[in-house]
Amino acid sequence: MKRSLPLRLSKNGPGASMMQASVILIVLIILAYILSSGVFIQPTNLLNILRQNTMLLIVVLAEFLVILTGGIDLSLGAVVAFSSVIVVLFQGYGLGLALVMALAGGLLIGLLNGMLITYLRLPAFVITLAMQQIVYSVAKVMTNGAKIEHSLNGAMLNMRLTQLYKQDLFGVSVPIWFCVGMVLLVSVYMHTKYGYYIYAIGGNDKAARMSGLPVKTVRIMAYVLSGLFSALAGFLFVSRVGTGDPDTGTLLSMDAIAACTIGGTSLAGGKGNVSGTVIGLLVLCVLNNVMSLVHVSPNIQPLVKGLVILIAVYMNNMKSKGDN
Amino acid sequence: MDDLVLKLEGICKSFAAVQVLKEVSLSLYAGQVHCLIGENGAGKSTLIKVVSGAYHPDAGIITYLGKTIGEIQPRWARENGINTIYQEIDLVPHLTAAENILLGEEPLTRFGNIDKKRAYGRCKELFAKLGVEIPLEVPVSQLRLAQQQMVAIAKALHMNSRVIIFDEPTSVFTSKDVEILFRIIRDLKKSNIAILYISHHMDEIFEIGDQITVLRDGALIRTDKTENFTKESLVHAMVGRNIDFVHDGAENEQGEIVLEVKNLCANKMVKDVSFQLHKNEILGFGGLVGAGRTETMRALMGVDPYESGEVLVRGQKARIKNPRHALGLGIGMLPESRKTEGIVGARPVGDNITYSYVENTTKLGIVRWKDVKAKAAGTVNQMAVRPNDTRKLVTFLSGGNQQKVVLGKLLAANCDILILDEPTRGVDVGARSEIYDTIKQLRAQGKAIIMISSDMTELLTQSDRILVMSEGQIVSEMKGAEATEEKVLSSALRVEA
Amino acid sequence: MSQPIFGNQLSSFVKRNGSLVVLIFLFLLFSLTIANFTDSRNLTAIMFQSVVTGFLALGQFLVIVTGGIDLSQGAMVAMTSIVVSVSMMRYGAWAAIVCGLLAATLLGFCTGLLVAKTTMPPFIVTLGMMGIARGIAMMLANAKPVPITNDTFKLLGSERIGWVPVSAILLVISALIIHYILRFRRIGRYIYAVGSSESSARLSGVNVARIKLLVYMLSSFFCAIGGMIWTARLVSGSPVGGYNYETESIAAVVVGGASLSGGEGNVLGTMAGVLIFQCINSMLNLTGINPFWQGAFKGLLIIITVAISGLRGRGKLLGSRKGAKSV
Repeated sequence: MKRSLPLRLSKNGPGASMMQASVILIVLIILAYILSSGVFIQPTNLLNILRQNTMLLIVVLAEFLVILTGGIDLSLGAVVAFSSVIVVLFQGYGLGLALVMALAGGLLIGLLNGMLITYLRLPAFVITLAMQQIVYSVAKVMTNGAKIEHSLNGAMLNMRLTQLYKQDLFGVSVPIWFCVGMVLLVSVYMHTKYGYYIYAIGGNDKAARMSGLPVKTVRIMAYVLSGLFSALAGFLFVSRVGTGDPDTGTLLSMDAIAACTIGGTSLAGGKGNVSGTVIGLLVLCVLNNVMSLVHVSPNIQPLVKGLVILIAVYMNNMKSKGDN
Repeated sequence: MDDLVLKLEGICKSFAAVQVLKEVSLSLYAGQVHCLIGENGAGKSTLIKVVSGAYHPDAGIITYLGKTIGEIQPRWARENGINTIYQEIDLVPHLTAAENILLGEEPLTRFGNIDKKRAYGRCKELFAKLGVEIPLEVPVSQLRLAQQQMVAIAKALHMNSRVIIFDEPTSVFTSKDVEILFRIIRDLKKSNIAILYISHHMDEIFEIGDQITVLRDGALIRTDKTENFTKESLVHAMVGRNIDFVHDGAENEQGEIVLEVKNLCANKMVKDVSFQLHKNEILGFGGLVGAGRTETMRALMGVDPYESGEVLVRGQKARIKNPRHALGLGIGMLPESRKTEGIVGARPVGDNITYSYVENTTKLGIVRWKDVKAKAAGTVNQMAVRPNDTRKLVTFLSGGNQQKVVLGKLLAANCDILILDEPTRGVDVGARSEIYDTIKQLRAQGKAIIMISSDMTELLTQSDRILVMSEGQIVSEMKGAEATEEKVLSSALRVEA
Repeated sequence: MSQPIFGNQLSSFVKRNGSLVVLIFLFLLFSLTIANFTDSRNLTAIMFQSVVTGFLALGQFLVIVTGGIDLSQGAMVAMTSIVVSVSMMRYGAWAAIVCGLLAATLLGFCTGLLVAKTTMPPFIVTLGMMGIARGIAMMLANAKPVPITNDTFKLLGSERIGWVPVSAILLVISALIIHYILRFRRIGRYIYAVGSSESSARLSGVNVARIKLLVYMLSSFFCAIGGMIWTARLVSGSPVGGYNYETESIAAVVVGGASLSGGEGNVLGTMAGVLIFQCINSMLNLTGINPFWQGAFKGLLIIITVAISGLRGRGKLLGSRKGAKSV
């Protein structure tokens, strides 16, 4: 499935919650195999799963970083939508420019979030919730509420962009490259000093401060990265769907948070790792995939998802209670 | 009034390997004030927690109103007349004084509504009994500390307490507040309530106490009527040991001045503190709880801001704004509470040791992890952390080893000036001596060490020089070799020795 | 007790009911500057639009006061609407209403149980419940809207007395009842106590688990009422509606002065919060400003509210005696 994870596992908390998630995942995979009469395991299916969920993966990684520092970001989906709009509006002047503008937007929003939350010490939940409203609003104003396909200068959506998603680079599908790339990127980040600090800051920010760690900077950086990642996801969105959509992603933050918590990341901060989070995401993805392969009515899907979230977090909770 | 209300016999309590109470017995009589005194760490706090049900004793008998009681739960104790007024007042912050006092048993009208009139009436009655006036409509979080305490006392009264325990009630009081409190206590006596009063303010004890019990190292040393004590004999009881203090180590050559503090003032707890620190020196800070030692050091470390004063580090003026800044100047701190400020329990030993070090090996944002790992392993060896495993989560280590990790962090960061706040609190004997050895090695290497300690033995045997603080000021200075427990304690208590 | 002077009284009133003041200010401002703002048609429209959010905000407020949060509200609305419309076809309006209330309250019971008895954060529990409720809605309706044919029920959504919608009167009555309970009954004090300091409350004998269970059940109950009104207005049950309704209710509660950490706030403020947002929407409609700016106004309002209360000094809780440690 995925290439082997290159991490110093020892660096990342007790792997126990990750075990929980892995167990669920394995059970699901087995179930999937059985129920779908083997269809699940076929490489085309597996690759499809990744391809369809590239955006989600990127956003999940973003949320992971923020939650690790003890915060939360509810504005992710809005940034994706906003970024998709920006990309379409500017792609007539060049794809590169479009990407840069989108990333700049994401960075700015993340910076705003970070500064309000860290310097003014305002609750992250409320601030990012408000930011979500604002960003969606601006996106809708820019497109008058509609999905768009034309740039500011009237140019139709660049074909190259929509082809991007379907292409293969060195034999591997482009979205897969993005998946791998982002996971690697975040893993590398966690290996820099800032990644090192994040765990301390999320785990005990007073002790972190006493140890001379730049608590405020790291926290703001988490939000900035979140904005950047979401903007990138928006760029991919346009590539995949072919339009800029100011309404998309309304449930994205929730899904991201769900994936993180299933993967063992604690909402309080300081606990969790990249592998666990990816596994948490995979649990959700496999779940969705299984359900469609088996032709489970899409009606039942939210219910199953909700149950899985509850069960997974309950198990994680019981485990940490045991620790105490 | 000689009715025995509460009797403790042979109470023992241990935490992990440390025995905190050794067969302590205490009797509380109706209408009498029984004062409990002892040095920091003597076991006073643990004892009252046993009485109030927060802790369960490992051994011993508790008899209340003639009946032997088994394991007490805090709520049971409260509802049955044993009330403790803690320093951390356990009221509900957003509720008013009246709501807090009657929480759980509000009087109701015929229709089942809260009968505000009766509630206020009852509260006014209680406050009148106490002789104070407290606004009833304001959330208690907006009341002054002393007023919050009055509310807690009123609540205790309301619950028909037979025993009221005061845990260091006057730590941050003005003298007027103290007067009011004492008047209240005298009134409580008239109502036949038994009072247990913990304090280290000598004057208070002699003024309000009928009986005094002295604890030392968890054991009962002496209990007697107040009139049979003098201030000196009290200090002697608190202090008198048979062990001879041998000052560890030879006469030390003091190096040059590495830190100079002038007229430091910080948030009412540090009032004009000035001192100097030398290389090759262990400077001990003695004094009682609340004297301002930790506050002074936190200001120096940049953890809390300070209002005025000058700090010179190696001769250069420095305005230390945060711990990062302090560490940059070579100052590092081992905080008093390692759980809340010292360790990141959920992270491994190796991480904790190198948090302050990582910055040093970073070039252009890229960390040389090999160096970091090596440093972690090296420091773990150096400090003799057990188990010798950089991947073990710090929360699973014993107190002593956790402390070694924090100390190791300062070492790894190459601090020249180390501030240690209670370095061996909650640490077993073995780790203790290892920590002492490390500190002495650091001194030999030319580092300067400030050691805040409430452990008299530690203070006297490890310090080259001792400064004693009381109520925010430095009241005396003495050479380590010439200091005695009595001298230190007398200064701390502001008693003429 | 000495009589506070008028100035003091006024300023403490403002502090406690900031949102009410803002509402009055905005209302006056808009009535003076915008034509037709005070038309009965417009006022009625505002009320119609506030009702559903109003019920949700009422429930959300109770949950937030205890220090929790309810993310499942939108899904509850959808679920109730389906339960009601489906059972109405078979059993008639009144039975359908009962079914709707029961279904939602039952789910609320489960939510409350999980929050009260486990250490799972309310965020996650209600997130999971959101999926479950949504799933139930989709399953029962087979993802299709279910039309309402019962005329009496339709009135719930549209009936007015003069220019006041009946549903608004229902909301006012509910709000008054909750306000009464919070202010005059013991359980009201306990709800605030649990949010303010769970440990101290427990020490005084408050049954914390019961309180938590109660507020989540109430939240779902009010979602059911709001859901039914919503269904009546749409004249059909919809399994895909209600998305992000909880965002609206949370926003109203926050702007209404409650703190997400619990222990603070009042019903009046929350209702004022709901109306403030609706007035702004109305203003945008009437002035022809691009309605898509709604979200930006809302978001800014939330940030400003939170910033002001944050900068005014987060209520330092209880006297922390810095430096005084117990030995």
